[in-house]
Amino acid sequence: MPDTASPEAPPAPPPSQDAQAARPLPAAQVVMAVALAWLVPGLGHVYLKRAVRGLIFFALVMISLGIGCSLQGNLYRPMQGQWLSYLATFGEIGTGVPYFVLRYGLHYDGRQEAAGFEYGTAFLLTSGLMNLLLVLDAWDIASGQKE
Amino acid sequence: MLSHFLLMVVYALLVSLFFTTLWRRERRAQIVLFLQLFFGMVGGGLIVAWLMYPFPPGPPAPIP
Repeated sequence: MPDTASPEAPPAPPPSQDAQAARPLPAAQVVMAVALAWLVPGLGHVYLKRAVRGLIFFALVMISLGIGCSLQGNLYRPMQGQWLSYLATFGEIGTGVPYFVLRYGLHYDGRQEAAGFEYGTAFLLTSGLMNLLLVLDAWDIASGQKE
Repeated sequence: MLSHFLLMVVYALLVSLFFTTLWRRERRAQIVLFLQLFFGMVGGGLIVAWLMYPFPPGPPAPIP
């Protein structure tokens, strides 16, 4: 069979790694990535074959959580009549399993009299909000909206 | 560990590293964004602190 391609035509470039990565995953894998990303900080990225970034995210979220606990920051829980506590609880539950380990496993509650209470609360809230952003990032990557 | 400035620097460091890793892929772009975020937060905090300096502190908050 004769070769019909002209010798001047450049060969088609192979699909780039970005284009391959931007391919959306099946719905079940998207749900799995999002669930893992919420449960353990960075695990969603590890599941999506971005292990180094996942480990960096895990370290950053856990360091923030550890500093918040060492400063005796507030681990929020919903309080009747204080709607901001619901919002703050949602933010801190964003940390996933570590929140429940602290709350129910270690019975951590924070100490309002501690000198670092406000700073610790900021660190704890930040760790939860960072992980919520990681959940959204895992969603974007798994659904092909982001490389 | 309870130095206000040290805690602010540690906080800025963590948040800057997080967003740098989240938003940028290339090493050079990561460094640029990290420096912008880190010094933006630390510098911004110092400027706000300096602006608040003339205002007298209120009474300490009661501990419930």
